[in-house]
Amino acid sequence: MNKNISISIIIVFSIFLTGMFVYTDGYEDIKSSVVEVLCLSCLKLDPVTQLEYIFETANSNHHPDFVLNNLTSGIVFLHYSKDACSGCDIILPAIKELFSVEYGKEDMFQKKLTFEENTVHYYYINTDHTTDEKQQSFKIYDKDHVEGLPMVTIITLNYDHGTIKPYYTSIYGTFGSKYDTLQKRYDFLTDIISESIGLWEENNAGYEP
Amino acid sequence: MKFQLKRLLAQFFIFLSANLRPFGVKTGFCYPFFYCNACPSATSACPLRPLEVSVYKFIQDDNSIKWTFLLFPIAILGLIGALSGRAICGWACPIGLLQRATGKIARKFKKYPLFKKMGKHPIEQYLRYIKYINLIGLVFVTSALIGFYFTDICPIGFLTGTIPTLLLFPGKYGPSSYFWIALVIFILFLILIFLIERGWCRYFCPVGAILAPFNKISLMHITRVPEETFQKECLHCNACSNICPMGIDVVKINRDPECILCGKCIEVCPKNLIEYSRGQK
Repeated sequence: MNKNISISIIIVFSIFLTGMFVYTDGYEDIKSSVVEVLCLSCLKLDPVTQLEYIFETANSNHHPDFVLNNLTSGIVFLHYSKDACSGCDIILPAIKELFSVEYGKEDMFQKKLTFEENTVHYYYINTDHTTDEKQQSFKIYDKDHVEGLPMVTIITLNYDHGTIKPYYTSIYGTFGSKYDTLQKRYDFLTDIISESIGLWEENNAGYEP
Repeated sequence: MKFQLKRLLAQFFIFLSANLRPFGVKTGFCYPFFYCNACPSATSACPLRPLEVSVYKFIQDDNSIKWTFLLFPIAILGLIGALSGRAICGWACPIGLLQRATGKIARKFKKYPLFKKMGKHPIEQYLRYIKYINLIGLVFVTSALIGFYFTDICPIGFLTGTIPTLLLFPGKYGPSSYFWIALVIFILFLILIFLIERGWCRYFCPVGAILAPFNKISLMHITRVPEETFQKECLHCNACSNICPMGIDVVKINRDPECILCGKCIEVCPKNLIEYSRGQK
């Protein structure tokens, strides 16, 4: 192989790589989608689901406005997902069935739903296709600092030192081996939502966003 | 400083630089070697992950290919491959560093008749194609058709992601449905690298499969001195081939796709008939 050919190929790849940096979002996409989000598939592990409600946000930031405002009329259900994520593809059908909703995996979707005669504000947040506010909410509600997807957050209300505040839990991955079928995941989510609705009903009268 | 000590320092330094997340360093680069982005201290992305993401279920879900995820790692690996071929396997890869250590044990096993021909059997040259099948079949085809089956069972992910995570965060994670299969594959990986020197690089590494063809065109490579001098002076002692960790017949070396440019053959040749070259041949 002639040295000049080798150098020509190096130049081609250098230009190619520089072009990728300058004219595409490849670097940022890989950083935000691969490096900063934990790949549970690569890890071969599932976060242990701890169904614990807390008041404090994961990064000490305030709850986003869209959550605070919606809490006046019902609980908020945030369903975080991304395009290429095998766990997300497992959870998606359970949630679609739970709320009887239909949307594309890459869509931004939100709907005010009625669940057992109560209002639920449902948000499907695909972190690859969403607004900054919704993207940032992922870190606000990542209570166990897993940084992995899928993640489901349910926000309700509870009494804390004299005031009614948002009270939330986040569950991760495919909810663990205990919930290994669609029906079990469906039942598990139904129980959490019912509990959250109960809390909301007890406390909503005193809530001010 | 001894040449192989320099290589060891390079491998060690690159291993450290691949693990800077505890200092807040997170980049959008892909490693030019095999190292899992799920490692708690990983700085960058495994090059295979964006490749998998680029084609993830694109047939099943009727999605389009994510071109930036496909081309960005190819551009990085292409540039490094065009410069130095598979030198990255010999000089930078942390899994190469691990196999450098286990290779010494693999050499000791060779004293026993049962293991003597291991890695030198005639069928061995065909086994080297498995890594290309891994790259195309497991990384691309299964990702496009079914899902992330390679990452689910990847032994390097198990070594650099799963084990450190379980040690650092006890009780926070439990096994996924693929954990036990991955554990079995990881044990087989360990057996392989303890029995055959650089067994993973030789037969299975998909990143090695991407870099290997670049040995044919790379600027930097290992070559023999001009043919006339070589024929005249070679003692046919076979020391170069015997020491090669990749099991290459170095006497016939001509831009071999398996060469990791470790330089052991150069060091061992009593007549200095093998050398690093920059593009002439």
